[in-house]
Formats: sequence, structure tokens, C-alpha cells
Amino acid sequence: MIGLQHYLLVSAALFSLGILGVLTRRNAVNVLMGVELILNSANINLVAFSRYGTGNLQGQLFAVFVIVIAAAEVAVALAIVLTLYRLRHTPNLDEADILRG
Amino acid sequence: MQEVAHSLSRFHPEVVLTAALLLVVLVDSSGVRFRNVVNQVLTVAALAAALVFSIRLTGSSGETWSGLLVVDPLGVFFKMLLVGASLLVALVFTFRNSRELQGLGQGEFYALLLAVTLSNLLLAASNDLAMLYLSLEMVSITSYVMVAYMKGDRMSNEASLKYVLFGAVSTGAMLYGLSLLYGLAGTTSLPGIRAFLAAGISDANLFAVYAIAFLVLAGFGFKTATVPFHFWCPDVYEGAPTPVTAFLSVAPKAAGFAIMTRFFFQGFSTQAGGPWGHVAAIDWPRVLMLVSVATMTVGNVAALTQTNMKRLLAYSSIAHAGYIMMGVVALSEDGARALQIYLLAYVFMNLGAFLVVTLIHNQDGTFDLRDYPGMYRRAPLLTLAMAVFLLSLMGIPPLIGFMGKFYVFAAIIEKGPSYGWYAVVGAVNAAIAAYYYARVLKTMIIDAGNETRPAFRIPAVDMAWVLFFAAANVVPLLFWGAIDGWTRQSLVLFAGR
Repeated sequence: MIGLQHYLLVSAALFSLGILGVLTRRNAVNVLMGVELILNSANINLVAFSRYGTGNLQGQLFAVFVIVIAAAEVAVALAIVLTLYRLRHTPNLDEADILRG
Repeated sequence: MQEVAHSLSRFHPEVVLTAALLLVVLVDSSGVRFRNVVNQVLTVAALAAALVFSIRLTGSSGETWSGLLVVDPLGVFFKMLLVGASLLVALVFTFRNSRELQGLGQGEFYALLLAVTLSNLLLAASNDLAMLYLSLEMVSITSYVMVAYMKGDRMSNEASLKYVLFGAVSTGAMLYGLSLLYGLAGTTSLPGIRAFLAAGISDANLFAVYAIAFLVLAGFGFKTATVPFHFWCPDVYEGAPTPVTAFLSVAPKAAGFAIMTRFFFQGFSTQAGGPWGHVAAIDWPRVLMLVSVATMTVGNVAALTQTNMKRLLAYSSIAHAGYIMMGVVALSEDGARALQIYLLAYVFMNLGAFLVVTLIHNQDGTFDLRDYPGMYRRAPLLTLAMAVFLLSLMGIPPLIGFMGKFYVFAAIIEKGPSYGWYAVVGAVNAAIAAYYYARVLKTMIIDAGNETRPAFRIPAVDMAWVLFFAAANVVPLLFWGAIDGWTRQSLVLFAGR
């Protein structure tokens, strides 16, 4: 029988993988994929709690908004990565290093 | 229906801003000849109208939109502060006096300014986790675009790239925390969470509450630029166009502190007829105290060696976030009031300092402190105004910045001897800060150099605004009784049902 714990374990694993991806990837697009994992791990939590724990729909409603926000955020982030590529001909983050000090 | 009508009647500032935002986009895409002038007038008019509507909300209190948002005296104070700061930015930092923005489209700038202001208002009034997350992301996403405004500029692009990646991760971590909080408390409304936590929770869940607090602090820390989520701040402030930097250093930071206060006071504290106290589950003032100490120390120490004025002011703004946080840590009415007064003072001193930096960049094309010698000879009035802003940031007595520091330190000392070391650390930090502000002044006034460069030619309008900001750092002290009374009235948080 699959219960709340299983969902929480999956979401915790996804969250950790997302953080790992963000920290280790050089390519900006891969980092954004890590961000998506983080957001979706929270979505799994919200829906699972709504289904098994709290008995109300607030969590599912929240998850729908998160999906919308994630789309908006990625749209803006990809536009910025595209500009990076136009200006430097690379999607690699460690080559964006003129601001320091 | 009645609920909607009731909510709408307390939603005028937001409605005006939304309408103006759509109009600005329409006018800009219509290709009318005077569209830039029309857009600036529209923006200023809308912000002024929103300010008037916010002032008219004074005294009202209650939940709106089925408890998603809340109108209360503290929220109304922040509405005025946030709209006022945007209005000043729209009036003062125009395309005319910014060399960086010249030649770029103007309509988008005003549309984005209105969008950030709108989302700031929603953030400061959020009473529900979903609304909190939505408005926080709306502030962030629109600010990413503002930072990237000079799209052919590598620094602006790099700044926004760092901002968006850092922001996405910290708000993502915050969202994970919020989802756990929803699972724990079974509701997304802040009053509901307070009721759940105040009833006491089992020991097994204590760890979860701490984890939630740390994850949520990631989001708030990012928005207010506090350690250890401040790394984006210097790079973003340096790379963004200066008008955007000035705006970001003031408005989203204030909104971040508004929601931090609301989240912790409303969700994690109790006030059963007496003084405020944190919920038994987590001693969050201790956690925030450590964050605040680290923030002011890191900000001030890193600022010591900066030579770029925008970076220096970025680290100074990190340090100020540490002082402002003292007001949240105090967890008392005096603390909340100190927070309000500090933010009010911060708007005037920081916008003033950034205005001077912009004007110097227009004349000389430099943000480097090493190009500042001889400034007093070339532009005496501007240098004196900068002295006022820097002394105010330092916290020297007859200026408004001193009042901010005075109130936060008083609120902390009131808490008793166990908070004494915190006040001492704050005072030591203020002394460190005095060094680098004084170094800027010494460079501008005493150091010799740039003898061949011509005297400054500053348009009368810009000079008038510089003097306005300088006056705003002094004049309020003459009417301090009125300001004190005004902030005292706007202390009340809506307690919820």
C-alpha cells in the first residue's frame, strides 16, 4: 500500500537531486533543470499532503499556482541564458565572471 | 459577491497599478510619437493615485479576498512606503539623467516598475502561504528582467543571470519549506498556522519546525539580502543600471522585511493580551539574531576594501539589512516600530546616495572611487549633499539615519541583559561602517586630483532632487513628534480569527 511516506521520500530525493544538480552543473540550462526538480518536489509534497494528510484542497490549489510560476520563471531565465549565449557564445556559467571583488 | 465588493473597496491601490501597467504596455506598443512622455506621466500619476488610496486605507483592518490578503495598519504603512519609494524612483531616476539607460526602450521600464510595485504591495499584505509565494516570485521575476535591462551589456546580463539562478534556488528551497509547513499545520493561512503552533506540537515534529524555518528563511534572506543568501547582491547591484539598483536596494528589501515581520509575528508568535512571545516550538528570535549579527558583520567588513561605489553601497545595504533585522528579533511593538522608522530613513538616505552616484557617472562615466578625488572643488553642493547621505547612513545624530539606529538599538536593549551582547555587536559594526563611509568623504573632499577635469554641469532639476533628498534627511527631525505618533498608530497587526 502506497501512503504519504512514500510520496515524501520521493519528493525529498527529488529535492536533493535538484540541489545537487544546481551545485554541480556548469551549463545554465542544466542548472535550470535542477531548479525544476526542486519546484516539482514541493509540488509532490503539496498534493500528497492534500490527499493523505490535511483533508482540504488548499495544497492542490497551491500546486497549480506553483506550476504557473515555474513556467514564468523558466521563460525569463531562458531568455537571460539566451542573451548570455548571444553575448559570449557559451552557455557555461563559470565563464560569466566579470563581476567580482 | 458581498465578499468581492468588500475586498475590492480595500484594493484600490492595486487596481490602479494594474490598470496603469496594462495602459503603459498598450501605449508603448501603439507607436504614438509622444509615448515615452505619456508613459512617464501615466506611471507617476498612477503611483501618486495609489499613494493617495493607500493613505485613505489608514485605520481599516480585516481580511480580504477570503483571507488571502489582509489590510491592517502595519500593512497600510508598508503600502505607503513601497508606493512612495517607487514614486520617487519614477520621478527622480529618469532616462534623461542616466547614461546607462539612454537609447533603450522606455515603456518596458515603467511597466516593470509598476509590476514590481504591485507585487510588492501584494507581498507586504500576504496572509496565506500560497499568496506569499506567488507575490514573492512575482517581485523576483520582474526584478530579474529589470536587472537585465541593458540587454547588449555583458555586465547587466551576467548580473541578471546570477540573480535569476540564485533566486530560483532560494525561493525553491523556501517553497519546499512552505509545502512541509502546509503538511504539518494542515492549512496555508497564517492565522491557522499560528493557532496550530500555539496549541503546542509533539516533540517528534520539533525538528520539522526548525527545518521549515531554515528553508523559509532562504527565501526571505534572498529577498532582503541577508547572510548567507547575500552573494547575489554586490554583483547584481554593480551590473544593473543604477536607477534599477537604487530601486532594488530600497523597495523589494522593504517588502521582504514586511513579509518577514508578518510571517514570524503572525504565524510564529503569540500575543495573548500581553507582550509578544514566540511559539514554544521554535525560538526563532535566536536564529534571526545570529543571521542578523552575521549579516551586519559580513556586509561591513566586505565594504571596507571596495573601490566601486555601487559595490560599496551594495555591501552597505547588506549591513543595513542586519540592523533592520534587529527590529524583527526584538519581537515587540517597539521592534516593529523601529523597523518602520529605519526603513523610512533608509529610503531617503540610500536613494539620495545612489542619485549622487548616478549624476557623477553621467558627468565622468565612472563608478570608481579612485576617480572621485577633487569632487568638492568641481561640485561643492553635490559633495555636501553626498556628505549628508553618508553621515546619515553612518548614523550621525542630527540626521534621520541616526533615528533609525536609535530606535532599533533601543528596542533591543529593552529586551533585557541577555540581548546586551547583540547591541554591543551592532555598535561595533556601526563603528566599522563609519570608516568606509568616511573614506568616501575623505576621497571626495580632501584628496587632490582630477585638476584638469571641468567643473560639473548638473541640470537644475537633478540638483533640486539632490537637495530634496538632503533636506529629507534633516527636516523630519523637526517634526519628530508627528512621525513618532504616526508609526505608533500603524503598529497593529491584524490578529486574525
